[in-house]
Parts: sequence; structure tokens; C-alpha cells
Amino acid sequence: MKYLSQSILCCLAVVFFNACTKLDNYDEPHETIKGTVVDAVTGELVLTDQGSEGTRVRMNELSWPRTRVATNFDFFSMKEGNFQNTKVFKGRYNVRVDGAFIPLVRLNATGDTLANETKVVNIEGVTEVQFKVQPFLKIEWVGKPTVSNGKITAVIKVTRAVTPADFKTKIQPMGGYSDDMLNVTDVRLFVSQVPYVGFREWDNRYSTQVNYTGNAFEAQLGQPITITTSGTIPSGRTVFIRGAARINYATENIKRHNYNVAMRVDVP
Amino acid sequence: MKFKSSIFIVLAFGSIIASCKRTLDIPPMNVVQDKDLFSSSGGMSIYMARLYSQMPFEDFKYSPARQFYDDWLVAPGANEGSSISRDAGTAMTVEGYGRLQRAFWGTGSSASNAAFSLLRDANRLRETLPEYRANFSDAEYKHYIGEAYFARAMVFYELAKRYGGVPLVTSLLKYPDVPAAQLDMPRATEEETWNQVLADFDSAAANLSETSLKRGYANKYVAYGFKSEAMLFAGSVAKYNKITGFGQKTGVRVIGFDPSKAAAASVKYFQEAYKAARAIMKSNKYSLYKKKWSATDKEGQYQNMVDMFSDITSSENIYIKEYKYPDLAHGYDSYNIPRQLMGGNGYSAENCPTLDFVEMFDGFPKNPDGTIQVFDAKGKYLMYDKITDLFAKAEPRLRAYVILPGEAFKGEVIEIRRGVYTGDASGGINPLRVVNSGAPDYTVSGPSNYNQVDAYTAKGAFAGKKSLFLSQNGTTHEVVTLPDGTSMNASGKSGPFTSDATAAITGFTIRKWLNPNMPQSLVLEARSEQPFVLMRYGEVLLNAAEAASELLLAGQTDPTGGGDNLLQIAYTSIRDIRERAGADPLAGMSDLAGASGLQLIRKERRKELAFENKILWDIRRWRTQHSDVLNGFTQSDGAYYKGLYPFYSTTTGKYFFDAGLEEGRRRFRMTEQEYYFAIPTDEVSKSPKIDQQPGR
Repeated sequence: MKYLSQSILCCLAVVFFNACTKLDNYDEPHETIKGTVVDAVTGELVLTDQGSEGTRVRMNELSWPRTRVATNFDFFSMKEGNFQNTKVFKGRYNVRVDGAFIPLVRLNATGDTLANETKVVNIEGVTEVQFKVQPFLKIEWVGKPTVSNGKITAVIKVTRAVTPADFKTKIQPMGGYSDDMLNVTDVRLFVSQVPYVGFREWDNRYSTQVNYTGNAFEAQLGQPITITTSGTIPSGRTVFIRGAARINYATENIKRHNYNVAMRVDVP
Repeated sequence: MKFKSSIFIVLAFGSIIASCKRTLDIPPMNVVQDKDLFSSSGGMSIYMARLYSQMPFEDFKYSPARQFYDDWLVAPGANEGSSISRDAGTAMTVEGYGRLQRAFWGTGSSASNAAFSLLRDANRLRETLPEYRANFSDAEYKHYIGEAYFARAMVFYELAKRYGGVPLVTSLLKYPDVPAAQLDMPRATEEETWNQVLADFDSAAANLSETSLKRGYANKYVAYGFKSEAMLFAGSVAKYNKITGFGQKTGVRVIGFDPSKAAAASVKYFQEAYKAARAIMKSNKYSLYKKKWSATDKEGQYQNMVDMFSDITSSENIYIKEYKYPDLAHGYDSYNIPRQLMGGNGYSAENCPTLDFVEMFDGFPKNPDGTIQVFDAKGKYLMYDKITDLFAKAEPRLRAYVILPGEAFKGEVIEIRRGVYTGDASGGINPLRVVNSGAPDYTVSGPSNYNQVDAYTAKGAFAGKKSLFLSQNGTTHEVVTLPDGTSMNASGKSGPFTSDATAAITGFTIRKWLNPNMPQSLVLEARSEQPFVLMRYGEVLLNAAEAASELLLAGQTDPTGGGDNLLQIAYTSIRDIRERAGADPLAGMSDLAGASGLQLIRKERRKELAFENKILWDIRRWRTQHSDVLNGFTQSDGAYYKGLYPFYSTTTGKYFFDAGLEEGRRRFRMTEQEYYFAIPTDEVSKSPKIDQQPGR
């Protein structure tokens, strides 16, 4: 019986030790993916919003065989147009970005792939990727904003970063194309009290939105546009402003804005 | 040891012998069998009870925030723009989205995620009942088969409204006979899903009997009613939806329509909606409720519309959900009673109609842009001798739906007053929303609460003479002594208060659905019994009118082949509804023509069906929830609703009203993507076939 109890103990010990090894012993992810989204023509970073209406990075791990269809691993780009994730498992990934630019993955009306400009990368150590995209619009500051009576007046310029012809060549085969998609629908001056100003972070007491119907904006492309904030910003505040505009076209079912650089304004 | 092992051998042998006998291989005696259930109408009523207890009805136990089978804090109307609720929040928008991780989609036993369990019960009934056909008369048998189709149609309809394309499980999945991997079904396209909804409602209508076999069961016209509603939804999505895409796993277009087929599909669905609505109209079994209505008596018209929602014998009711204390009761009265009649559970005024809603009605002064007129030509407040004077000639339907300031409920005057103004009023009273002697600011950057304005803080023009008095909450009041020596609390008994939202926070409180005869002691949670009208003839008329208008816009003619003049049908439907409501009559049939006619029909719908859990779905199917301009903003940017705040002026003894953004500044924000709910993430990650919404 002594032998029996010992053997039971022994068995139990094996079971317990075994259980220890069954813990999640997979090394924590510590590879890094870093990347930029740049304008294919000018090489400038494509500025965006920080959040789901900005540039989204979607990764699918291809080297993990246990799931038949890889789970989406999404994160959002920084507002300057670069992105970084330092907690990625080592492996082979498909990486795509979606934002206010010509979609990298284009399908036709029956779901067949017309183009796939996503990247497949082996992520190990610090892996850098760069996406060259064709943003819809380019927004620039013209001169310095002025402040009077708690209202900021800024001048911005909106130009097309992709020609209508090029847009049509790429988008039309996807089905449901209309020239209306190229129309600029709204130009905005976002105001916020934090630097992360954009569609997800704006103070609607002061921000201004100008809507355009049809192709009414066409004549103003490339022309300086003067926008003034609404409401009265109390004296002594520091705010951050940003110009934005978008066209009547949704990527991944969201109509996203193109932006210019956020600017700090101290209200005297 | 030898002895022991021989025991084991004997035991082992014994168990082998026993297993050869089949005495235990019988159906379990403690589980009800098919042969018992499908034996008689008595057995069937047990099966139907389970089926109906899982049905996705949007009734007194439904709210956008918590979805089905949860009657806590129900405030039908909140989230659709008709009202604002302290607790319903901004569900089904970006902010309120997190709670909707699982709306009906699921196989759970808790009924809120019972879609696929209910689907299974429906499929099982349809496939098993034929084996027991001999137990029923032909009529009964057909009706039960119809019930199965009706339940299935409702499941697919409610899923399609929320998710677009769903797995079309149309037969009983046999598990464990077939391995689970083979039973995993991908989502169908949205178009296939709506076609299935159409086919199932048609099968239901073809099989169900003319009148319900039992109170609470469906019948042919119930199926037609919901069919017309569902097909309007499908037609609108096909026409107005802009977002589409393919599932990542299957490549199926799980949301939206193929752009090349959308227009034809939309016409087809509108035709079906029209046909279903007309089938009910032509049956002559239902009519608009007009028991107390009289063409000349506005008071009678008002009382008629109050009664119609509680009169169980109403000729307008096509389908109602009944409740009974204590087995199945709800708490509508408890949550929505005016503040001054608050019940024992401490809830009240969850459903406060917005000024935006009230402004849709006729019968009170308005500005040229349709907003309520509160200022005279000089920019001073219009003054009223009695608080009820402003709405004295308001449309009876509005009074039947909304308790306006100073109106009576349960024999008591409902006192709605934001505050008391003691300043000089000899030259008229200037707009109140002024801070630091600036210009009056009624935009979102202006003062949100009246305790910020100069008249209250005694600044600017009011320096040193506080002229506005407000109440903190229902028990802490600023008290004003009136010229005649009597005293008056700043706010009314039902609010609104400065920092207590259990009151008429918009200046209005709900009347619709409240039981005017319920004793005060019974205004408690889970105590209300009034039925919820799920489908009524009024909606059928509105469905017919909208479908007719959409068909005319698409260049179509009467799809029934009956020679209807579509414009005439739309006109008479809207005319009848407006007449019963006591609204101003239309100028003529031309009002209904074209795109402006469609807008008129939609507006009529938003008025008539408000607070019935219909309008939120309407603005979603029209795809206008994100794009309608509300007080300068759209919901895609974040929009606000307005309130109307009554004040009493002590020096004149008169009342005046301040209209502006609601004090709580509840912000409703949603993007187009939210028209489709995300599929519960665990369902996506555990299945190799179920797709998440494209883009998410």
C-alpha cells in the first residue's frame, strides 16, 4: 500500500508539474513594426486623424497556422502619418493601410481582386515599411492665422493630390462609380484644446464647417480659403487648429478627411 | 489481490451482460416528447408559448440601449429624436455602441440573444409538424405552419435590420448527427436575406388563418402588416444605402446591394410593401380608431387619441402585445410618469419629448423656418396670461402624445416651469441666454444651463439685481415672494431643475402610453399591464403612402394590378391620418406629389408613430440619421436637440417661453458605418465562415 500511495503521489506530482508547463508560455510579443504612409508623388507624409476616421493599419498574421482565417489586428496611425506598434509577435504578416487615399485593395462589383498593393512582411526586430499612396486632397496653410476678439481666422488651400483622371481609372472598375465621388463635400477648421485635433477630437463650440453641394467647390481648388472659428474662445486659452477637407468617397465605408499640420494658437 | 481482481472480472462481465439488454434504451420519461406536444391544440399551445416568449417584438420590454426582453428604463422615443431620456443615452450611435455587442444575434437561452434558438424552434415546427398532421384539422395545421414561417420571417427581419446579410438557416440543423464543422454557415448577401424575409412573410400570410387561433397568435393580416414594414425597410436600404463591401472570409457582399441591381431590387421591395399594405386595406377588417372622434370637437379628438392606445377592442389594432401582473408586467408608468407623480421606486420622466418633435405639429405660433416663435418683432419674449395659452390651439394629436406645460394628467395640473423672473418687464423681457453682457447666444457655445446666465448670476445688465430664480432639484427650491404676498417655488413640481434630471428636462413630459387610471400606489416597476400596439392600421396607411410615393418616384404604376391611382392612395391615407389627428387639412392631392410629397409622408410618419419603437428604424433605413441637419449639426458631427423652457414673470403675472438647445447638451453622434451593427466579435473569431462587417 505504501508503494501504491507513493506512486499516486508521484503521479499527482507529474500532473501538477505538467500543468505548470501548460501555462501560456509563449514569449510576450516584442517585435516592432514601424511605418509611414507617404504621398507617392511628393514623398510627403499623409497627415491624418488619430482614430477610426483616420488612417487604419490592419495586419493579418500569415505564419500562424492554427486559425484558418487570420484575425484582423488593427491599430491607428498617428496624426503625422506614421505608425508604430512595439508589441507584435514575430512572424509573417500581411499589412494594409486604409485612409483618405486610393484604396490599396480594390475589388470589382463581384468581389474579384483588381489590385492589391498591400505588403507582406516578415516582422522581426524592428521592421520598417513604407506605403506610397495617392491621397485624395492636400491641405496647406497659407500664411499665419490671426486672432481677434477670440476668433481665429486662418487661410488654407485645398488641392487635389490625385488627378480626377487617375482617380477614375482606379475607382471606376470597382463599380458604382460616379463623378460626384470627386466632389469636395466639406472644408473644416477643427479647433481643440489638445494637439491631437481632428475629427475625433474637436471642440464644436469653436470649430467651423463649410459644406459644399455638388461640385460647388471645384472653382476654389488651389485658391486660398479664409475660415474663421465660431463662438468666442476665452482670452488666455491655448488651442490647436487644423484644416481638413474630404471628398464624397468612402474608403472602408468611412468618408475620411485629409488634413494639414496642427498648429498651436495662443489666444491673447 | 486475486480475490479483488476476480471481483472486477465479475463486475465487468455483469456490465457487459446488462448492456445487451435494451430496457434502458427508451426516450427519457421526464422530457416532453414531440408526440406529446404535437398531439393537440393544447400541446401546441405549449410549443407556441415558447416560440412567442422568444419573439423579437419591440414593445415595452425593448429599448435601443438594451435591446430585447429588458424592461428597465424603457423610454420608446428616446434615440429617435422624438424625446430625450436621462438614461437611454445615445444608444445606436457611436457613443452608445459598446452596449450593443450582442443585439439578438446568438444561440443563447436568454431571450435577448435568442435569434438562432428561435429560428431553430420555427424550423423544427415546420419540419416536424407534417408527421403529426392527422392530429389537427386542415385549418389548424395550416395555421401552425404559418406561425412557423411568421416566426422565421420575424427573426430574419430583425437580424437584417441590424446586421444586413445573415446566415440563412432555413432547415433544422441536425447536431450531433452531422459534425459541427459541416453545419457552420456563412452569412448570405443582404439581398438574399431580404428575399428570404419576403418569402417567409409570404408563406406566413398564405398559411395563417384570417383571425388568430388564439389571442396573441399571429394571423394573415399581422403577417401582411409586418411584411409591408419589412419591405419598406428593404426597399429603402436598396435605394439609400451607400456602404457596402465583401466579407473577408467568404468574399460575399454581406452588407449593401450590388450597385447594378440596387434600383431594381428597391422597386421590387416597394411593390411588395405596397401590395401587403393594400391587402390589409382591402380586407376592410381594420379602421382608424375614432370612437370619441368628432370633426368639430378638438377635445374629443384629443381624448380619442389618448384612449386608442389602451383600448383593447380598438378597430385599429392589428397586433398587440398584452401584459398581465404578476406573470408578465412592465414598468412603463413607473419610468415615465411626470416627476410630480413619481412612484415608489423613485423613477420618473424618462421620456421627455424634444422641442424638435413638438415643432413638427400645427397649432401654435411659428417662425418662417418652422421653429416655434417665442420672441416678438422687437426681440422681446411673447407673454402669455396662462402657461397653457401657447399651446391652447395645438393639434390634438400633440396633446395626446405629450404633456405640455400646465396640462392635466390624472386630474392634476402638471407644473412644468424652469424658473421665475423678477426683473422689470415693462419694456418687454430680453432673451435670457446672455453671459457677461454679451449678445444673446443660442448656439452650442452659449450658456447650457440657466444658472450661467446674467439674470441668474447678477452680472452684466443685471449687476447687483438677481432677477432669475431656479430650483436645484425637486426638494431644494429658491422661493420667490410674489407681489400679492404669496410665495412660489422657482421651478414647477415637474421641473425642469438645475441639477436633477428626473424631471421634464426638455420642458415636456410624455403622455402617450401612460395609464391615466393607474392608482398612484401602483406606479411601480413591473406593475404596468397596458398592452403595446405592435402593428396598427395607422402604420399600414403610412406604409402604403410611402411605398406609393417611392414607386411614383421610380416611375412605377400600381403593382397590384387593381388599377389604383398611387397618388390618390397616398393622399387619402395621409388625409385620413391627419383628419383623425386633428391636424390642419392638406391643400390637396398635389401636396403628395414628387420628392416633397415623400418628405411630407415621412414627416407624418415621424409624428404619428413617435414613441412606438418605429421611428429610429425609419431614420436608419432612410439613411438620414447621420445626415439630417439638427440645429446646425448633423449626427455625423454630433448633434443636439432643443427644449422649450417656461418662465413666470412676477411683475406682469405672465408666462414666457425660452426655446433653445436642451440644457443637458446630450450629443448624438453616429457615422454611416453604424447603420450596420458589428457582428459579435466572439462569433467572428470562433467561426471560419462568419464574416465581420466589411471595413470594421
